[in-house]
Amino acid sequence: MKGIKIDHVSRIFNDNVALADVSLDVKEGEFFSLLGPSGCGKSTLLNIIAGFLEPTDGLVYIGGNNVTDLLPYRRNIGMVFQNYALFPHLTVFENVAYGLKIKKLPRKEIEERVTEALSLVQLSSFAKRRPHQLSGGQQQRVAIARALAIQPSILLLDEPLSNLDAKLRKEMQFELRNIQQRVGITTVLVTHDQEEALSISDRIGILGKGHLQQVGSPLEVYRRPANRFVAEFIGQVNLFEAVAKKDETGIYEALDYQTDENTTLNLDVGNLVIEQKQEKVLLMLRPERIHISKTLVEQRLNSAKVKLQEASYIGNALRLKVVMNKGELSINTPDLMFETLPNIGDEFYVYWDAKDLIPLEEGE
Amino acid sequence: MRKTKKEKQQVFQWLLLIPTVLFFCVFLVLPFVLLIVLSFRDIDSMQNLLDTYSFSHYIEVFTSDIYIDAILSTLGLAAVTTVLCIVFAYPAAYLLVRAPSRRLRALFYILLVSPLLTSVVIRTFAWIVLLAQNGLINDILLKLHIISEPLSLLWNMKAVVIAYVQVMLPFAVLPIATSLSETNPNLRNASMSLGAGRIQSFLKVTLPLTIPGIISGAMIVFSLAAGSYITALLVGGRMQPIFPLSIYQQVMQVFNLPLAAAMSISLVFIVLIFVGILGLILKRWEARMHG
Amino acid sequence: MAKKARKKLSLLDTLVWIIGIVVYLFLILPILVIVFSAFSPSEYPEFPPTGFSLKWFTAVFGNPQWLDSLWISVILLIIVTPLTVILGTMASYSLARLNFRGKELIQSLILSPLMIPQVVLGIGLLYLFTMMGINGSIIALVVGHMIVCFPYVVRTVSVSVSNLNPVLEKASMNLGATPMQTFYKVTIPLIKPGILAGAVFSAVTSFGEISISLFVSAPSTVSVPVRTFGYIDQTFDPTINAISVIFIIISVFALVIIEKTIGLSKVM
Repeated sequence: MKGIKIDHVSRIFNDNVALADVSLDVKEGEFFSLLGPSGCGKSTLLNIIAGFLEPTDGLVYIGGNNVTDLLPYRRNIGMVFQNYALFPHLTVFENVAYGLKIKKLPRKEIEERVTEALSLVQLSSFAKRRPHQLSGGQQQRVAIARALAIQPSILLLDEPLSNLDAKLRKEMQFELRNIQQRVGITTVLVTHDQEEALSISDRIGILGKGHLQQVGSPLEVYRRPANRFVAEFIGQVNLFEAVAKKDETGIYEALDYQTDENTTLNLDVGNLVIEQKQEKVLLMLRPERIHISKTLVEQRLNSAKVKLQEASYIGNALRLKVVMNKGELSINTPDLMFETLPNIGDEFYVYWDAKDLIPLEEGE
Repeated sequence: MRKTKKEKQQVFQWLLLIPTVLFFCVFLVLPFVLLIVLSFRDIDSMQNLLDTYSFSHYIEVFTSDIYIDAILSTLGLAAVTTVLCIVFAYPAAYLLVRAPSRRLRALFYILLVSPLLTSVVIRTFAWIVLLAQNGLINDILLKLHIISEPLSLLWNMKAVVIAYVQVMLPFAVLPIATSLSETNPNLRNASMSLGAGRIQSFLKVTLPLTIPGIISGAMIVFSLAAGSYITALLVGGRMQPIFPLSIYQQVMQVFNLPLAAAMSISLVFIVLIFVGILGLILKRWEARMHG
Repeated sequence: MAKKARKKLSLLDTLVWIIGIVVYLFLILPILVIVFSAFSPSEYPEFPPTGFSLKWFTAVFGNPQWLDSLWISVILLIIVTPLTVILGTMASYSLARLNFRGKELIQSLILSPLMIPQVVLGIGLLYLFTMMGINGSIIALVVGHMIVCFPYVVRTVSVSVSNLNPVLEKASMNLGATPMQTFYKVTIPLIKPGILAGAVFSAVTSFGEISISLFVSAPSTVSVPVRTFGYIDQTFDPTINAISVIFIIISVFALVIIEKTIGLSKVM
């Protein structure tokens, strides 16, 4: 079992910067996800770890050894590909045995290891089938068994669940995590699905525009995003561009939010100490942190009268979009709030806690 | 009862197909049937057709040393041509698929298709210009003092093989290229991540996956090589033991049409057997991969 | 050590590329040779070239026999191409849309002239035409050429048809068009590139056809390839070089048209 160290890695494709100076440590036995929109460089980074791409600059270490110049087949890495990449001309058994045969292990050992790997993914009875005779989920399991059979030092997963339907994907997420825990192998998952990354990982690295934007636990990246990019990418968010009011500690004026012609929205960020120099600040408020009241709230700050613009019912919650003269707010609220769906144009009050306003960096 | 929309459409589609089917029945199936009938008709010593039928022409084909020799060497020629075409087609197909720019790929396509669009006579003539006693290759070798006497490169089987490979190569490259471009590049990566080197990955993954392309290419090249006579005649000369050539001479010089018919039918069936076997292998392989 | 491994990899790549490029050069070599010798003044081309001359071209165009053959070839091409393209397009379309037992049989029948030994096709047609009393006529040649051109047209058109979404035709019929109107107004315009490429292939194939023509032509209907064959078969005649250049120019035109309309990679 080994950790991974990415040391100032860059990759440039024909003058396009795919990865810009990324440094990262994946700990031994950790389930780490690389999350980002398409084109963010996450696949490039995974391919550099696997050895299919060479970094333009920087070094890659696996288990403390510099593998930067090592060819992919010398790295002892287990990899699961997006379309599973099972060999169509081989049976399930032969697929799983492939890497072991390459290593020229004795036949008996190959049989033992394949049997073990197939029972790990609960496909023992499918050994003689061919890939086209399996369902998507089963093919996925074979791919995992094949990657683990060679007893790799690390496991790389390249969008492994993106071809499965929503229900199966949830099941496989759980199972993937389960297998990883049992084997205890250091794992890097590449995905664009934030829910998947949040639910499955120990830590998440968020990539955007070739830069590593933030590394942290699922809770950290959701509750304390490092910058605008992360906040907007993970979950829904309301952003306030605000200016500090110099005389009152922790009070900001939201620039785009005039509640009526001359009153602006005043935000209280609580204990945050204002640095006099930093006048403008970006504040984040998650939609589910906004409370609704039909009557006037006795609260001068962090509250406003709003008008309903859009409402959609999603079962356990209501998704609302409200306006305050110039600005819009997204709100997620439990469906208990309303007996019936509110009407467009209804007016009510919203408020939130000072601790739920999170200051953000602009980011790169 | 009024016809439904779907029925109307189907009637229309059948109407589109019928003229072609008729055309092929009259000008492809009928002549073939006539040839089969003709091949059983007896002739007298003056080569006049008699009204009796027998296997005599087939017996002649399969008992005379000349014809058996010609059949065997034709099959050998076809086999050698096929193998050489596949071997050379592979790197060409690889370049076509992996060409780094669209322009380069277009250039490769032009080089590949241009032989198909040039008449066989012309391409064969070019080989004569190259290989003749006072042709280009001898001219260059003499001037470089590599040889002192001109080599006789023309009028032998080697010349036929060279010309055949050049004429038929595109038919092997195109299906292999199609096969190559259809293989998922991740399979190669998967093989490498499992510890196989480049050559090993090629032999164990890429090559087996392109077997359908190789076999379809082989089917076309084999049947072309076993059935051509123009190139063989012009480059190999009249004396080569090449079966289609013997058939041509039987018609144009000996005027023994029934024997030529029997030879033709035999040739078709021999080619059919070989191509059929290849086709069977192809079907089994595809069933294995895709069900 | 590791760096060395990377080097080895690119060496392998280089080797494959070199072999591949040699193969492509081998493919184009005959054409280069022809062009080279067509402009050479000596009977046999020499290397390095001793001069530049157009005398073989003037020899061709001064010879009434060659002009007759050129005329025959052009007439054949003009009759064969539209006939094959119309029939071939109709057939490929209905084969793509219809489903019936024996469909595969008909498909392989239409494509079979590519694989059937040419000598057999030639003899079969020779025999049939002699019985019908039309051997050596233009009609005989037209039929022979059509048989050979058919597979090319059906292949290129089929590619276009298989890329055509049948829903478009359903939409047209739902809007009140008859099957015939739909075929004219929706199907044909959408598969036009395939039809055009098929036409080019058909024209070029007809212009270069020899294997069947050799059997079914008479002295009055000798096409250019057949006359060329006769010349090569008898003696070495350098005017053939000039004829060949005409053929090559035509193929280059064909290539350009195909590349501009549908793209070579899509046709094949």
